Amino acid sequence: MRKRGKFSLSLRGREAMLGYMFIMPWLIGFIVFFLANYLHTLRMSVSSVDMVAAGGYDLSFSGLENFRHIFTEHATFTRVFVESMLGILVDIPLIIFFSLFIALLLNRKFKMRGIVRAVFFLPVIMASAAITNAIEQSLLMVMGGLTTMPPEMQQTTGLSVQSIAVLLANFGLPLQIIQYIIGAVARVYEIVRASGVQILIFLAALQSVPTSLYEVAFIEGSTPYEAFWKITLPIISPLIVTNVVYTVVDRYVTSAVVDMAYESAFLHWSFGVSAAMSVVSSVAVLLLLLMVCGFISKFAFYHT
Amino acid sequence: MKRKINRSLGGTIALFLFIALVGAFMALPLIFTVNNAFKPLDEFFLFPPRFWVRNPTTNNFADLFILMAESWVPFSRYILNSIFITGAGTFGHVIIAAAAAYPLAKHEFKGKAVLFSIVVLSLMFSPQVTAIPNYMVITLLGFNNTYAALIVPAFAFSLGLYLMKQFMEQIPDSLLESAQIDGASEYRTFFSIVMPNVKPAWLTLAILMFQQLWGNTGGMFIRSEQLRPLNFALLLITQGGVPARAGASAAVGLIIMSVPITFFIISQSSIIETMTTSGMKE
Repeated sequence: MRKRGKFSLSLRGREAMLGYMFIMPWLIGFIVFFLANYLHTLRMSVSSVDMVAAGGYDLSFSGLENFRHIFTEHATFTRVFVESMLGILVDIPLIIFFSLFIALLLNRKFKMRGIVRAVFFLPVIMASAAITNAIEQSLLMVMGGLTTMPPEMQQTTGLSVQSIAVLLANFGLPLQIIQYIIGAVARVYEIVRASGVQILIFLAALQSVPTSLYEVAFIEGSTPYEAFWKITLPIISPLIVTNVVYTVVDRYVTSAVVDMAYESAFLHWSFGVSAAMSVVSSVAVLLLLLMVCGFISKFAFYHT
Repeated sequence: MKRKINRSLGGTIALFLFIALVGAFMALPLIFTVNNAFKPLDEFFLFPPRFWVRNPTTNNFADLFILMAESWVPFSRYILNSIFITGAGTFGHVIIAAAAAYPLAKHEFKGKAVLFSIVVLSLMFSPQVTAIPNYMVITLLGFNNTYAALIVPAFAFSLGLYLMKQFMEQIPDSLLESAQIDGASEYRTFFSIVMPNVKPAWLTLAILMFQQLWGNTGGMFIRSEQLRPLNFALLLITQGGVPARAGASAAVGLIIMSVPITFFIISQSSIIETMTTSGMKE
C-alpha cells in the first residue's frame, strides 16, 4: 500500500511530479550549459560586437544589420549556405539506405561479428580530433611532409564520376537524375564514413524487434522478403525518423556553413556576423528537418 | 526457434564479398596505423612509401616509453585523468539522459511538448559556434581548470536524451502498467523494466559518449599539467621533433585508437539479443 502524505496529490499530479523529478538533473544542466549559450548567440547576432582593449567585448544593439550584411554584402555566404543545405538533403536518403542495409547484414549471426561491427564503426572513432591528429602526424612524416593522400583520392573519384556522367548521358537519362547519381558517387567515401552511428542505431533498433513476430510469420509461410517489409520495416520505422534527425544534425555540424561561421569568429574576429550566420543556418536546418520528418512520420508506425 | 532461411550459395557469397569490400575500405586507416606503429625508422622514409611493414619491430613503443618517463608529471597520472573523465562523463550522461527521457517518452505532464521541442532545437547548434558563451559559463561556475569543465557539460548533451526517448517510446505501455499493478515504484520500473529493455540503446549511447570524451584533449579548459588527459600528453610527444619521433607518434596513434575500439567490441558483444524481447508479449 502506498502511504499518502500531508500534501496528497491526485494520481495525475503525482505522475507529473515524478516526471519533473526524473527530468530535473538533465534540465538544470541543459539550462546552465546549453540554453544560456544559445540565448547569448542569439543576442550576439543582433548586436555589433566590439573588442575592448582591456579584454572582453562590448555588445551594442544593431538590429538586423548582421543579417543584412551576410545576405547582401558577404562574398560567399549565400552560396555556401545553399550548397550546405542541399548537400544535407542529398545525403539523407543515401546515408539512411546505406546504413539500414549494412545494419541488416551485420545483424545476422556470423563469426567475429563484434569485430566486423567495430570495423564499420571505425570512421566514427577515427573522427576524433586527437586520433586524426596523431595519424596525420605520422602520415605527414611518411609522405615526406607532403599531404598527398586527400587530393589523390579526390582525383580518382573525379575521374570515375566523369566517365559515369558520360555513360548516363548516353542512356538519355534526365539531367537532374544524372546529377543526383554523380553527386552520390562523388560522396560515396563521405557517406560510408558518415554512417557509423546510424548503423549502430539501426542495429539497436533491429534488436528490439520481437522474435516471436518472425516465428509467427514464418509458421504462416511468409518469405524473408515479406517479413522484412511487413515486420522489420514498420517496427523500426520510428527509428528511421531518429536516424534522419541524427544524420541532419551530424551533417550540419560538419558542414561548410558552420566552418564559415567558425572562421568569421575566430579568424576574422567578427563575432556578430558569425552569430548571425549560425542563427540563420540553424533555423534553416530546423525547417528542413521538420519538413523531412513530417514527410517520413506519415509512414512511421507507433505501438499506440 | 532457429530457422534456416533458404538462400542460394551465390547470394551468400555476394553478400560476404560486399561486406568484405566495404569493411576493407573502412579498415584501411586502422591497418595503416598498425603497420606504421611497427615500422623501423628507416622504413618510414622510404620513397615511394610502403604500406606494409617489412621488418616489424617494437622499437617505436620502447621509444615512446622512454619519452613518457621523461615527462615531469608521472605518466600514470595522465592515464588516470583520462579514465576518470571518460568514465564519469559517460556514466553520468547515460543515467541522466535516460532518466530524463523516461517521463518524456512515457508520462504525461505539462510542458512536455515544449521541453521536447527545445531538445530538438538544441540539436541544431554546433559546439564550435557557442564556444565563447560556453567558456564564459564554465568560468562563471568556477569549473575552469578542473575535471568538471569536461565532465559536467557532458551530462546535459541533448543528443543522448533524444536517442533514449525515441527508443523508450517503443516499449509497450502495457508492460509498464503491469509493473505498476504488481506494485513497482517508478524508480523500480525505471531500473528493472525500462533500462533493461532499452539496453541496446544505452550501450550505443555509452559508446558515443565514450569516444567523444576519450578524444578530448582538454582544450582551453584544462591548463594544469597534472589534470590533463592522456591524449594531450601523447600529442605533445608526437609534436616534439619531426624526424626522430615518427615512430613514437605512430605508436601513439595506435594506443589512442585501441581503447575506444576495445570498449566498442566489449559493449557490443554484451548485448544479448533475445533478452530485450522476452518481456514483450502482448
